[in-house]
Amino acid sequence: MLLIALTLICGSCVSEKQYSDTPEGNFEQLWKIMDQKYCFFDYKKIDWDSVHNVYSKYITSDMDDNALFEVLGNMLGTLKDGHVNLYSTGNTARYWSWYEDYPKNFDENIKDRYLGTDYHVAGGLKYKILSDNIGYIYYGDFSESVSNGIINDMLSYLAICNGIIIDVRNNGGGLMTNSSTLASHFTDKKVLTSYVRHKTGSGHNDFSKPYAIYLDPSDGIRWQKKVIILTNRHCFSATNDFVNNMHCLPSVTLLGDKTGGGGGMPFTSELPNGWAVRYSASPYYDKSMNQIEFGIDPDIYVSLSTEDASQGRDTLIETARNLLNK
Amino acid sequence: MNYDAFRTLILCIELLLPTVLSAQKLDSLRTNQLTVRCVQYGIGHSNILDTYLSTQEYKGIDFRTSRETMRMTNIGKGNVSVQNFLQADFSFGKNRVDNNNTLAGMVNWNYGLHYQFKLSDNFKLLAGGLGDTNLGFIYDLRNSNNPASLRAYINIDASAMAIWHFHIKKTALVLRYQLNTPILGVMFSPEMGESYYEIFSLGHYSGTIKLTSLHSQPSLRQFLSLDIPIGQQQIRLSYLGDLQQSHVNNIKTHSYSHVFMIGFVKRLYKLSNKELQKLPASIQAY
Repeated sequence: MLLIALTLICGSCVSEKQYSDTPEGNFEQLWKIMDQKYCFFDYKKIDWDSVHNVYSKYITSDMDDNALFEVLGNMLGTLKDGHVNLYSTGNTARYWSWYEDYPKNFDENIKDRYLGTDYHVAGGLKYKILSDNIGYIYYGDFSESVSNGIINDMLSYLAICNGIIIDVRNNGGGLMTNSSTLASHFTDKKVLTSYVRHKTGSGHNDFSKPYAIYLDPSDGIRWQKKVIILTNRHCFSATNDFVNNMHCLPSVTLLGDKTGGGGGMPFTSELPNGWAVRYSASPYYDKSMNQIEFGIDPDIYVSLSTEDASQGRDTLIETARNLLNK
Repeated sequence: MNYDAFRTLILCIELLLPTVLSAQKLDSLRTNQLTVRCVQYGIGHSNILDTYLSTQEYKGIDFRTSRETMRMTNIGKGNVSVQNFLQADFSFGKNRVDNNNTLAGMVNWNYGLHYQFKLSDNFKLLAGGLGDTNLGFIYDLRNSNNPASLRAYINIDASAMAIWHFHIKKTALVLRYQLNTPILGVMFSPEMGESYYEIFSLGHYSGTIKLTSLHSQPSLRQFLSLDIPIGQQQIRLSYLGDLQQSHVNNIKTHSYSHVFMIGFVKRLYKLSNKELQKLPASIQAY
């Protein structure tokens, strides 16, 4: 038995092809990583073989790192995915058109005028009670922690309010656990919010079955009054997930612009020259199995008007206040 | 252990424990109570690949410690020995352009039996099976949502060993070669694009426990050791080749370590509680 085992082992080296650290080797390695692991080829109707044919023509053995980086970055740009990046020591290739090509609908200075100087700060949350008894919460980064204790204290403080506004504009994402922790305080029952699949093989359609994701109610304070979520095109990734979670709750209204999307869980790999590449590895869907990669529409579209902005007013916040006070 | 050393050991035991063993003769010594134990420390080279984390191999240094015991049993008319081998290693690797690192650690426990074929007084071949339990990790210092890979697998190994007692001039030496390879096992592995967040936070465990065999986990561990008496001590010098591979859920991994180890060999005779009670309390430490 041992001899049979040894014979099999000797002929069974488990390894991955190690491409050369040359422009050709790095190009082929990047193309292969994406070919086998990227999860949105069919949804986005991208012919990745054709992309290879187009961009391989720009690869020459004597090109320098800057030129190689530009070609590889442009190739990744065809995926139109904010979760796809190439990182060298000197630059980051990115696709940011998901928010750069759209109105901002957010002004940091105007937001700060609403918060004033006497607002509460806990974890990543900033909040205060506005003059018309509406609670205003700004959460600008899902990488910043929000524990159940922080949220319980915040909701206790805001308990007297008629409703609350949760402003996640310009929140580019962070930790998914923060998304579900915060959302869990706005439901009193278990709710189906989304589905997830992941790649199981190197084929473009090699996916697992869809797994349902539920939002469980928090053991702490559960807010049951009205909530309005303010969104813009810069809501991405974990923020997109939070908006999707909240959209499943009956007391929640989405107001503002469509979110930026980012519905794929990103993974990282690397090239022979040490450059890191990030890519979407597993797609998330809404509760009806619709893709959320390109964003979530609000219930009420509202844009920041130039007139309001010039007067230091935020059209989205003002609209939300009016709705909550009706 | 050669015959002279064995007699010396018996003599020592008889001197120390006259009330217990004064009538004991060599052929009546219960060999199943005589344990050979060795604790070793080593350093070597590692080569790690885990395509869940990176397409690139990470090469670096491997630090390792091990504890091994062997003794005879009553099984098979006293021809079966039991081996208990526990090792832990930690490695630090870098990619080929040295701009990123991985940390890896593994605890491995082997426990099993060998039938001893005594071909001569000095040379024997052992064949048997081991339970082979492994728990460890690989951590990539740069990755975001896939920063680490959990390594957890249990195997039944086929194992063979050759032990040769010989002399160079008057020095008694023991040379041992051992080879273990997993035949059947189970392994934890995420699926190719499945995040640990999905497994552990969302509870999607389906497909993460896989049956493995030679086709999906062609691995082996081999030991070459030489026991050398130095004064009153016995030193063990070892080479350990730990070649672990897997191809499960379309994720390829390998961890090749070549480690040189050194340690001390101890021979311990286990006394039963009944025998200990015959000893005067005044000469016992406790």
